Amino acid sequence: MKRRDLLAGALGAGVLIVNKGSLTLAQTPAAGGDVKMMLLPKFLGIAVFDQANAGAQEAAAELGSVGPDFVGPTAENSVAGQIEFVTNAPAGGYQVVMLSNNSGDQIVPAAEAAQEAGTLVVTWDSPIPDGRGESVFVAQVDFTETGVVMADMALSILGEEGGGFAILSASPDAANQNAWIAAMENALKDPKYANLTLLETVYGDDQSEKSYEQAQALIDKHPDMKLIMAPTSVGIVSAAKAVQDEGLGDEIKVSGLGDPSEMVEYTLNGIAPEFALWSFIDLGYLTYYVSYLLATGQITAEEGQKFTAGRLGDYEITKDPTRPDVDALRVLMGPFSVYNAENVQAAADAIKAASGS
Amino acid sequence: MSNALLRRIRPEQFREVILFLVVIGLLVFFSFQINDYFNARSVNRLTTGLAIPLVVAVGQVLVVLTRNIDLSVSSVCGLSAYMVGTLLTRQNDLHPVLALVIAMLIGVVLGAINGLIVAYGGVPAIITTLGTLALYRVVLVEFSGARTVTTAELPDWMNDVPSATLASAGGYDLRLMVGIALVVVILGQLTLRYLPFGRRLYAIGSNPDAARTAGLPVRRDVFLAFTLSGMLAGLAGFMFLVRFGNITVTAAQGLELQVVAAVVVGGVNIFGGSGSMIGALLGVLMIEILQQSLLRWAGISEFVKDAILGLLILVAITADAVILGRLREMWVRVRRRDRELAQSVPADESGVVHGA
Amino acid sequence: MARDLLRRLRSWEGLLLLCLLVVLAYNISRVPNFLTIGNQINLFQLGIEKAIVILAMTFVIISGEIDLSVASMMGLSAAITAAAFEAGVPLPVAILLALSVGVGFGLINGYFVAVVGLSSLAVTLAGYIGFRGLARLLVQDRSVGDFPEWFTNLGQHGLIGPITLSIAIYFILAVLAIVVLHFSGLGRLTYVIGNSAPVARFSGVSVVRTRLIIFMMSGLIAALAGVLMTARLGAVRASTAEGFELDIITVVLLGGVSIFGGVGSMAGVLMATYLVLNLRNGLVIAGVTGNTQTGIIGLLLILSVLLPNLAARVRERLHRRQADAAVRHHQPPPGDTPWVTEPG
Repeated sequence: MKRRDLLAGALGAGVLIVNKGSLTLAQTPAAGGDVKMMLLPKFLGIAVFDQANAGAQEAAAELGSVGPDFVGPTAENSVAGQIEFVTNAPAGGYQVVMLSNNSGDQIVPAAEAAQEAGTLVVTWDSPIPDGRGESVFVAQVDFTETGVVMADMALSILGEEGGGFAILSASPDAANQNAWIAAMENALKDPKYANLTLLETVYGDDQSEKSYEQAQALIDKHPDMKLIMAPTSVGIVSAAKAVQDEGLGDEIKVSGLGDPSEMVEYTLNGIAPEFALWSFIDLGYLTYYVSYLLATGQITAEEGQKFTAGRLGDYEITKDPTRPDVDALRVLMGPFSVYNAENVQAAADAIKAASGS
Repeated sequence: MSNALLRRIRPEQFREVILFLVVIGLLVFFSFQINDYFNARSVNRLTTGLAIPLVVAVGQVLVVLTRNIDLSVSSVCGLSAYMVGTLLTRQNDLHPVLALVIAMLIGVVLGAINGLIVAYGGVPAIITTLGTLALYRVVLVEFSGARTVTTAELPDWMNDVPSATLASAGGYDLRLMVGIALVVVILGQLTLRYLPFGRRLYAIGSNPDAARTAGLPVRRDVFLAFTLSGMLAGLAGFMFLVRFGNITVTAAQGLELQVVAAVVVGGVNIFGGSGSMIGALLGVLMIEILQQSLLRWAGISEFVKDAILGLLILVAITADAVILGRLREMWVRVRRRDRELAQSVPADESGVVHGA
Repeated sequence: MARDLLRRLRSWEGLLLLCLLVVLAYNISRVPNFLTIGNQINLFQLGIEKAIVILAMTFVIISGEIDLSVASMMGLSAAITAAAFEAGVPLPVAILLALSVGVGFGLINGYFVAVVGLSSLAVTLAGYIGFRGLARLLVQDRSVGDFPEWFTNLGQHGLIGPITLSIAIYFILAVLAIVVLHFSGLGRLTYVIGNSAPVARFSGVSVVRTRLIIFMMSGLIAALAGVLMTARLGAVRASTAEGFELDIITVVLLGGVSIFGGVGSMAGVLMATYLVLNLRNGLVIAGVTGNTQTGIIGLLLILSVLLPNLAARVRERLHRRQADAAVRHHQPPPGDTPWVTEPG
């Protein structure tokens, strides 16, 4: 697996990288004046979404446009709130809504209406499942690959003899997590994972207290469980803390998708020896570039369009292979960063520096 | 129930006993469903889980007794947890007791705001605390700037407190946090029983107008009840920080309904005037047993749990009401017979509780 | 004449009207095309299911009870519609099934409150958890969609001109609610029960029946709202309408209905509904984020009771001073300040 160096990405200077020459027809973005955009996360108060905002603001500054408005609903009002923001976006004069969709297909009517009224809807982090109303999806990683990465981490932690593990997810309605879990279950069919047994999947609703209690319950219910796999940044820290508080760090390990700045302690003390994530700063940065180029007509939402996204380099719009049943387009950002005791501290420091906290 | 016993005691005094029996019934039921249900680790888990809702419930009882309600407790708890957590990440050497006091002070301020608006502003409690439930959460989100407080940034003593144990027998621990919660319950019960302030809360809740006419300091007492509720929610925030370590802006969300449910289940009359801390304790215990046991019930799919929880709550409160109703009928019958026998003047002391 | 007008303005509805005018003026000045039919339809569509449930909740709260289970009922009805449809049941039958379950569970809520005599807070709290649990059981972690086009068209497109089915239903139900609450026996009973249930019982009024009807209605309307929401969003998840109950109750209280029952009017509630819809619309367009939005509505709720109370107290002081001077005490007419509520 190729690994993009997060550090270089996060700290990279805000210089436009000109066409590398090897690619033909890749658009070099030109400044096209102000484009009014809305950056709409699933809900406010989650660190990684703020990191995405930092990346989007960086891109806006590079392109000489006004920064996007970073607005969003509260956690308990996420679905209705997102629909409200998308519906009202045209009336608010927004040319693009950059959406991390938490509303499943329930957002479709609102997104279609916005597109009809001339507001583009570019999704990032989490797409509209059936693709309607969506111009293009900026994917952080390949969702199928996520499953393989999680299976690989489980294998590397548990070793050849394998053992039982459980999944601690966000809410049962979280589309990303569901897709990743399905991808992992699919990946597990490969004979090399034959010794890994998925015991159960439980949900902590991305609340730390509920995730903590679910992790404790897993420990009680499955005495032979050796690993908790949590594909959510809230779940993974809560699970790690539960394991630590039980004093079971030697018997039970934790892995999944987590924010390095929140996971340093558990990776260094061996409870979470390995976990993965991508750079949300880069994701916000790339999403802004795609949206800006679409809004200024420098590219169109069609298969095969190529462009250069600042410091991140060249990209191409393709059909989304992870949603084969529907007509959806995707820009794939890039591979995972896998963190372990060697690189977690540096990554955490880089994130803190880049998001200015 | 023997008639002789009924002659002496009012059915309401059985309330806690009935609840206690319902709780025992639940424990027996789950012990047949879940392997090794009473092992030390599970029991410790259950008692530890009680601590936070219990502390908040004690404050809630004080408020509910006065015919009010405090829905803002979850936001107060979350805000106090987050603020103290942030403070501790910046000043790792802050003394634990000082941190605790600060958490309670944050609660006092937020509770006093509620109390001022309700008692002196004349705004109904449900409106006030629905409003501050949202407002305090807004303050938290704005204050946090979406940062998460993580265990890694907290001082080391934080890691030891959750498992700190006061007494232990055969692996069954009395954890420090549970000890604190029990002390709060006992102090609460003593207040209600023996302090004039506590007695006045009942009078205010039974009949606010009469209490005012009688010259009781209704406004001051209601204000004080809200302030105390805030203080205890602040204390719960500190416990929340210690227990969960990772504090996001959604911390403690939904706690208010869990606590109100526990208090109502515990037989505290939502229209004020009757109830006890022991009842609230049993109510919290019941809800917590249901929740924790459903999490561990292997035969039950993740998707059925809430449906069962709702049903069990309904069954439990109905069982409680039906048993209590029967007792009350028996009590009235016995009393009436006694009275007829004695041919005495029928003085009205039926003791029937209105509402509920 | 002028005094009459002044008094009217000082009433709860008057205050709401004033707030509404301020918000409208702000929106009109800030938002281009605010008054166009398109935007007005949009504004109603976004909160139409809540608006519909608010009508039924008004009856529940005026009767001195509460129904915390409405949002879970909406989710359950959506889940039943989706699950039945998925299992091959024709959609109209699936909808009827969802509505009957709404009536049934409403009756069950009512039974435990009116007959068994449990507190409605406790009973509907169990419903709040349990109904959502049933919805979760039916839909699990899936998102059910692919409804026939006629159904989603009804939810998303104009039926009579630009007016959608949901909006049409809302206005019909609103008229019906006004008539029933203010001009029928059931409405009068609702107030009587809310004012003092024991009195109503002793005067031979069927408290039990009225309560049953009110809770049944609440269940039915919530189920209907769940179906309409399914049509509008075109997809169902188990979390549909989660958290709506507090918004719904907030608007009813903002409309001047007393949480202790017996006081309130449909006119106030309708105005509060329109006020909140406008406020949210304006705030979203002004870029005010979700949390602050909720906070502003919360603050508005408190201030709307607090300010008139303080004003009344100041007025009372002034009156007393005047009275002392003029020896004779001038009493304001009763019912003049309905918002002055009991502390505690």
